[in-house]
Formats: sequence, structure tokens, C-alpha cells
Amino acid sequence: MFVLKRVGVLAVTLLVVSFVAFLIPYLTPGDPARKILRARLGDLDVDPAALEALRHEYGLDRPLLSQYWDWLGNAVRGDFGLSYTSRTPVIDMIGSALTITAMLAATALLIAIVVAVPLGSLAAVRHGRPTDTAITTVTQGFVALPEYWLAPVLILVFALHLGALPSAGWAGPASMVLPCLTLALRPMSYFTQVTRASMIDVLAAPHMTAARARGLPFGVAMLRHGIRNALLPVITLFSVWLAGLLGGSVVVEVIFSIPGMGRLMYESVVNNDVPAIQAAIVCLVALAVLITTVTDVVYRLVNPAVRSSHGAA
Amino acid sequence: MVLLERTRRRPWPPSLVVGTGLFAVILLVLLVTPWVIPFDPAAQDLDNRLAPADGTHLFGTDHLGRDVLSRLLDGGRFSVSIAATTLAISAVTGTLVGIVCARRGGWLDELVTRMCDVLLAFPEIIVAMFLVAILGTNYLTLILALVITGWTPFARLARGVTLEIEARDFVEAARTLGCGRWFIVFRHILPNALGPLLAHAALRFGHKLITVGALSYLGLGVQPPDADWGSMLAAAQPYLTRDPGLVLYPGLAIFLTALSVTLIGQGINVRRNRRA
Repeated sequence: MFVLKRVGVLAVTLLVVSFVAFLIPYLTPGDPARKILRARLGDLDVDPAALEALRHEYGLDRPLLSQYWDWLGNAVRGDFGLSYTSRTPVIDMIGSALTITAMLAATALLIAIVVAVPLGSLAAVRHGRPTDTAITTVTQGFVALPEYWLAPVLILVFALHLGALPSAGWAGPASMVLPCLTLALRPMSYFTQVTRASMIDVLAAPHMTAARARGLPFGVAMLRHGIRNALLPVITLFSVWLAGLLGGSVVVEVIFSIPGMGRLMYESVVNNDVPAIQAAIVCLVALAVLITTVTDVVYRLVNPAVRSSHGAA
Repeated sequence: MVLLERTRRRPWPPSLVVGTGLFAVILLVLLVTPWVIPFDPAAQDLDNRLAPADGTHLFGTDHLGRDVLSRLLDGGRFSVSIAATTLAISAVTGTLVGIVCARRGGWLDELVTRMCDVLLAFPEIIVAMFLVAILGTNYLTLILALVITGWTPFARLARGVTLEIEARDFVEAARTLGCGRWFIVFRHILPNALGPLLAHAALRFGHKLITVGALSYLGLGVQPPDADWGSMLAAAQPYLTRDPGLVLYPGLAIFLTALSVTLIGQGINVRRNRRA
């Protein structure tokens, strides 16, 4: 029942968002017919006769909703038209950009988790002591660090002064290091703080005392009963970040000239490439909503305690 | 009025002291800028480009020979005021929406919750980029673009807090006494929701400041001849090796300002948790 409801919400959300995306050519100044013709043919100068024919053919005089239906039909089949700038099918551009961004985001988040979980756990175990204070203070500071500042600093040190890593581009693992580090810093700080907070709660829980009372060594108790429970909020946060980073790494991708989703969207906005913008919106929202829905469902499967209380929250 | 959190005289946590102090200094400097600014921030001096720091130009000059200190001061006024305005509008709108949703419930509540889900799933900066693309670059668009996504976390928080407070006995008592719906909101719910909302607002400020800077950095925010910290950073990028300071100073300014307000937010939270 819960799954059905979530899938229903997902479908409605996608319909609404795709309608907004469909409306973009009508919202921006200019003649929609001219824009569509450009999208289909990639022509910059269109003759009036073709324009008139297209208006008729595409039924731009028809009601908006029936036009939307046609557009949606094409979109579902993956046809979002041709890009204004590259004159290739938009969906191919999105495909390759999304692969790169997904790799970037997944690597960055993996780095973040690998650093954050032990760090947050350490802070929780040393709750209130200098180690905890140091970890908390530093991660709080990282949150205030803008990526467009960290990136140039990293480039300056590692690419220009040490010459150890490439300063831009997307070719091989070496070029991934700096962008991934830049991208990982902020989620790492949040993950550390969340792990710490939830681990402090778990450490104080009766089942931990019981585990220790049974004679389990501290390390074993932590691994078996501590970290597993403390990780639940981190998993939720992870999915939020993954969804966000798929489109949210605009600044990092622009700085490091990575041909990913963020830069694609940035360039389509700057060049007013309507089909690319539409496709990007629909694909990203679809992915983001899908990820959050799956997380919600998995979360309930993993943690039976939420099942009963979730309805009220 | 019943306050769930009684204010007791207790020493401020260190983060609150440091954050408030730092932010007060930054705010003061930006407020008195019109009287103390050493040069016209837009005045070019092409014979004196990328000059190192000296007695006249304390932070040197940029690629067009403009005084970096003056531009930092002037740019800070843009960055901070835009971030603060968007935050204030977002916080007030979100809080009102959240409270109304919690009180009304039903389809309105469901609709707004779903809207929040979508908007939260979609990165702020992308939404802002699309809006700027449709409406063009000006301050109103910039603020609108950031408010459109910015209200959602506040709505969520206010809704949750309202539901929590509404379940308390003293609200029930007020209702039994015949208090009106909105009287209860202003007298009982808002005062109790203020703490968490303020803390959240402070924690969001740094994020807003960074986002405003990011949009300007991408050329979609503050437009020349005006410059904020983000656009200064972008303009300095090509001179990264020749004059790294041009990139470092605006970034440091954003970092310190964002950090100070984040510390305030964290301090407020620490204080609230201590009382609880």
C-alpha cells in the first residue's frame, strides 16, 4: 500500500514537472514555432513558409494540453528534439553527461562516507573531549567553504605549483582527483556530523549496554550493534546528496571543465538551448524522485520501527 | 503564553560567542563602508594593473587596476544584503506556509509537502539558473530565484514544530478556554517555534551566501559594473598564478562570513539542547 502510494505520487510529480518543462518555450520570449523548428532542424534562419507549415503540422494552434500530450509521447520515447547548439539529439547529450556526473558524484560521496563514518564515530566515542571538539569544529568550518574557492586553491597547489595533477578536463583517474575532493568536502562534513549525532544516541542506548554486559569487547559491540544502527540517518542523507549532486555539481564541473550534467545545464541556460533544458529538467527530476522513493521504500524494509510510526510523522 | 524552553542565564557556548563577535565585526565594517571606502570600487587605473599590496592599495589592485580592498568592501554589501534578503523572505514565507499546512491539514498539506519534496530534490542552483534564463539577470530575479527553493526547508520545519506543539496540553487548554485559531498561533505556537526556526535560519545563511556567490561566479548573479564576492572571484580566475591573492581574498571573505553565521546557528542549537 505504501509502495503503491509512493509510486502514484512519483507519477503525478513527473507529470507536473514535465508540464512545466514543456511550457518553457512558451514562457521565454519569442515564437515557439521558430524555436521548435530550430530544435528539429537545427536551422538558424527559417523561411516563413516552413514556419507556417510547422505551425499547422505540429498543431500549435491546437489547445495547449493536446500539444503537451504529443510532446510527452515523444519524451517518453526519449525524443526531446535536437539541441540548438550541437544539433545532435538532446537525449544522447544527456546520456553521456549523466554518466560522467554519476561517476563524479558517486566517487565523491564514497570518499565522503569512507572518511565521515569513522571520523563521526570517533567523535561520538570521545564525546565532549578534545578529539570530539576538534572534529566537530573542523567539519563545521568546512561547511562554510565555497567550492568555487576551494577548487582554485587546490588547482593552484596541486596542479600549478606541484604539477602533480591535471588542473582541468576529464581524462582518466588523475583528472578525477581534484574535482572529487572538492565535491566530497561538504557532504563529508554533514555526514560526519550526522554520524556523530546518531552514534551518540546509539552508544547511550540500552542494547549497547546489554551487548557490553554480555561481555562483547567494545570494538565488536560497536561493529555489530553500534554502527549498523547509527548508519540509518546517514543512508537517508546519502540519497538526498546523491540526488542533489547529479545536478548540483554545476560549479565544480564548470571550473574543472568536466563535460557532465552540471556544465551541460549551465551551457544550455547560457545559450538558451530550450530542448536541452527541458530534457535536463525532466531527466534530473525523474532520477531525483526515483532515488528518494527507492530510499524511502528500502528504509522501511531495513528498519521495521519506521513502518508503524511513519504514517503519523 | 507557555514557553517550552525557559530562558535561563547561562554562559553562551563558545561557538555562539565567536560567531556573534565575528559577524558583528563584518557587519559593522560593511555598514560603515560608504564612509571609509578608500577608492571608487569601479575606478580603473590601467597603468597600475595587478599591483601588489602597498601603502596606498592595502590589498593591491586587480586586472583593471581597481583597488581590491574597496571592491571587497563594496562587493560584501551586495553579497551579504542579497543573501540576507532572500533568507528573510524565505524564512517568513516558509514559516507561514508550514504553520498553515499543519493547522489545515488535508489536501493543501499533502500538496505543499509534495511540492517541497520536488523542490528539495532539485538543486537550488539549477532552479535559480533556469529562472535567470527565463526572466533575465537582475536583482529581483536573483532574489526570486533563491526564494522559490529557499522557503521549503522552513515550511517543513515549521510544519513539524507546529504539529509537535499543537499536541501539547497547554494548547489544548487554550482551545478549551475558547482561544481562537490564530490567537493560539501567535501566542503559543510562534514563540515556541522561534528557537528552532532561528537556529535553522542561521545555519541556512552561509548556504545562501555561498549560493549567491556561485550564481555570480557563473555570471548569472550580480552583473558588472557592480561586483560581489562571487563575481570578483570569477574575474580573478585567469590571474590565479600571477596574483593568487585576487582569488583568495573574496573567497576568504565568503568563508569567514558564512562561518560566523553558521557558528551562531550551531551555538543556538547547543543552547537549546542544553536546556532540553
